[in-house]
Amino acid sequence: MQSDQQPIKFPPIEADTVPKLLRLRVRELGEKVFMRRKSLGIWQSYTFLQVYEQVRNICLGLLDLGLQEGETITIIGENELETFWTEYAALCARAKVVCVYPDTTPQELEFIFDNSETVVVIAEDQEQVDKTLEVRPKLKRLRQIVYWDPRGMWHYNDPILMEFKEIQEKGRKCGQKNPEIFNQKIDSGRRDDIAVLSYTSGTTANPKGVIMNQNFLLDNAIRIFANLPIKKFTRYLSYLSPAWATEQWFGITLGLLAPFEINFPEEPETILSNIRELGAGLLVFGPRQWESLASSVQSHMLDAGPIRRFFYNLGLKIGYKIAAGKTEGKSSNILWFLAFPFADQFILKSLRDNLGLKYCYLPISGGSAMAPDVFRFFHSMGIKLRNAYGCTEAGMFTTHMGNKFNLETLGSWYVSHPDIGPSFESRVTEEGELQVRGGAGFQGYFRNPEATQKAQEDGWFKTGDAVRMTDDGQLIYLDRVTDLRQLSDGYKFPPQFIETRLRFSPFIKDAIILGDTEKPYVSALINIDAENTGRWAEKRGIAYSTFPDLSQNEGVRNLIGQEIARVNNMLDSGARVRYFINLPKELDPDEAELTRTRKLRREFLERKYGEMIQNIYGGSKEFPSEIPVKYQDGRTSVVKATVYINPVELEHTGESAI
Amino acid sequence: MKKEIQTSKQVSLVADKVSLSFGKILVLNNVSFHVYEGEILSIIGPNGAGKTSLLNCLSGFYKPDSGRITYRGEEITKVPIHRRAKLGIGRTFQGLQLFPGMTVINNIMSGRHIRMETNFLQAFLHWPWVHREEISHREVVEEIIDFLEMEAIRHEVVGNLGYGLRKRVDLARALALEPKILIMDEPMAGMNMEEKEDMARFIIDIEEFKSIPIILVEHDMEVVMDISNRIMVLDWGNVIAEGKPEEIRTNPAVIKAYLGEAEEEIQHY
Repeated sequence: MQSDQQPIKFPPIEADTVPKLLRLRVRELGEKVFMRRKSLGIWQSYTFLQVYEQVRNICLGLLDLGLQEGETITIIGENELETFWTEYAALCARAKVVCVYPDTTPQELEFIFDNSETVVVIAEDQEQVDKTLEVRPKLKRLRQIVYWDPRGMWHYNDPILMEFKEIQEKGRKCGQKNPEIFNQKIDSGRRDDIAVLSYTSGTTANPKGVIMNQNFLLDNAIRIFANLPIKKFTRYLSYLSPAWATEQWFGITLGLLAPFEINFPEEPETILSNIRELGAGLLVFGPRQWESLASSVQSHMLDAGPIRRFFYNLGLKIGYKIAAGKTEGKSSNILWFLAFPFADQFILKSLRDNLGLKYCYLPISGGSAMAPDVFRFFHSMGIKLRNAYGCTEAGMFTTHMGNKFNLETLGSWYVSHPDIGPSFESRVTEEGELQVRGGAGFQGYFRNPEATQKAQEDGWFKTGDAVRMTDDGQLIYLDRVTDLRQLSDGYKFPPQFIETRLRFSPFIKDAIILGDTEKPYVSALINIDAENTGRWAEKRGIAYSTFPDLSQNEGVRNLIGQEIARVNNMLDSGARVRYFINLPKELDPDEAELTRTRKLRREFLERKYGEMIQNIYGGSKEFPSEIPVKYQDGRTSVVKATVYINPVELEHTGESAI
Repeated sequence: MKKEIQTSKQVSLVADKVSLSFGKILVLNNVSFHVYEGEILSIIGPNGAGKTSLLNCLSGFYKPDSGRITYRGEEITKVPIHRRAKLGIGRTFQGLQLFPGMTVINNIMSGRHIRMETNFLQAFLHWPWVHREEISHREVVEEIIDFLEMEAIRHEVVGNLGYGLRKRVDLARALALEPKILIMDEPMAGMNMEEKEDMARFIIDIEEFKSIPIILVEHDMEVVMDISNRIMVLDWGNVIAEGKPEEIRTNPAVIKAYLGEAEEEIQHY
């Protein structure tokens, strides 16, 4: 289904392959700066013409090495000029490109080299070369390993090795001898040439190489360009690895389509200062990076003096009411409106500046779900952070678009260019699985017909993502379909989604969601956050003595009930949490209830709290409980408390208590 | 990673029967050794064996009571410290001798001062050639920053850095001198495993890429055995053994002197 947006006017497609697009941009914008990298402390620029020359030399150099059309080269390294140049060069040569994360293990590399039929490896440095050499005896197709950072390899003399410079030099000579061959190569490229094999992370099985042809790359870049307000010559910081499809679309392809000024960080560790130096306009980060940005602000403010802290808190509060409120369509008191320009000018602007996000008009988070509160934090500062959702196989699906959007959803649907292919459509099956079709379409997994077939159903691509569609056609991501659990009536619900969303509440530290084929409905064991809940209770004059006392307090139980109801609103009625218990004792890794990384040890917990769970489904209202605890010095004791079973009101009324 | 030294051995630095005593304590007793171009020579020995004193004699902090030190065929026994630095003898310190209030860049820059031509007044007026000179020095410093992978801490104040990184700054400053031989006094002391691995890699890279010989005093036997071409063992001011790591490992005199009763320990290496 499609959202009812205004129809987008698509410009005609300028070029049907990435190399043709590159050549076109070079002709239009030759002397403009296309790429920059910080080297020896100074940003060094490369114009379109200079990049083109590099790409040509590398391409001809690769051809000189005997690279044939349709063969595969693999690039392993950080985001650097050489990574991008090599990919463009290989695409010009009509070869297939695989980009690999720099931290891939030799075993994974071996599989990827073998499966992708790699003939040339372009590696950044000694680390990558060593890994490749380690698995090389098992690879019959591999002919050459090229590296661009020779550090530490001054004494390597394996004939399979070659320095990047040599390739460039070979290419330069070939270009002098036969200047037309490069152009002819680009001309011969077709839109259904396989461009990139993008290997999905194989957490359970071997990775699968998703085929992306030229049309598919362009399709996604055009989707983004046409649906989002992308400005020409945007300063873009290339940070996500091109091993991830997102960077293939945003950096490699959109970078040419828009075009961008693509910047490369000096080192992965200098990214934060690089963002600030650049004043990047478009940033695509994973949730982890955004979260660490947010926490860096918070931890700096904890160190600040009381006066600064006061103004910071005031500014954020006003920003929350107005800027974040605007995004979510909430109205506010006029006083907040009057205060906002001052807060924005004197407090929020400098926050944005210090983060280097002053000029960032399109900050995007992609990869996995991020807590709405992190979004709200950035929106309060005036940074309109948007979520992007898609999958490697079928491209970009949705992004928060426009000025007003719902932070709980994944955003609005992209519309694909009509000349690319049939219009891009989606549906949600009975099971709750998202399926899509259209656009350039799913091209299959390389050399894996079995998986390719399994991933499709009557022309629809099965994303494997369980989602829920809101009334206005937006998606809420729940879980992978395989992670859903079934209730006794056969209804499937997403336990991890509920747990994660509950943990987003400041009052809930951990949540154990109950429900399986023996249970008729979903319920929850809640480990309240003692600190925040305690502070909340103090503010309201609620007296309590110990943790069990606090957890079973009526006010606190109502508070938690409201938090659960808020999450319930995002769920279909069958998946909603009906009853919950506040655990009278905190979950503790010392008692093996959690792992050291604070993951729930579910089976153990369900055994330990078996009696409570029985009581929840037994229909009682309260019951006495005794929980053995072990102190750090080895003593044991028993926590005795009367535990209440609380129903959750299905209609959420109260305002969020943040 | 170990590389066999070429047969055509060019000697860089020679100590010939160097003796040193403080009052009645004989710290170095007729110590003789030589360092070849392009090798890593480690000096090991128990605490108080005289390792640091020997380094101090080489770099000029102490004057030996007797004996000669020759560097690239020239006798330098009586040459003062700053002249030795100019000759190309660089050194890092066991205790850190950095300027904690200055940034990393400025600390490394301070290693360039003996290569600077500008005098105080010119620097104050900052004439164009002074500016040019500063840029050329900054280039050298930036290359060292790149070499030692310190981009992320370039503008940090040294006092805020962890111990391992300070050691790296110390090394960077020694490299800024563009030394022709590098003397390192316990570069790994107080470092964690990862920092040690980094430092070991840097030492090998310096020796391989810049092909300057390195004299290394270090307690971490694993590192010493791993990266040295040759090892010399000192005990109470006497050289008791000298040779390749595998020879030292099995040398009974070394095992006895260095580890005393804990004989099994050295066999691990």
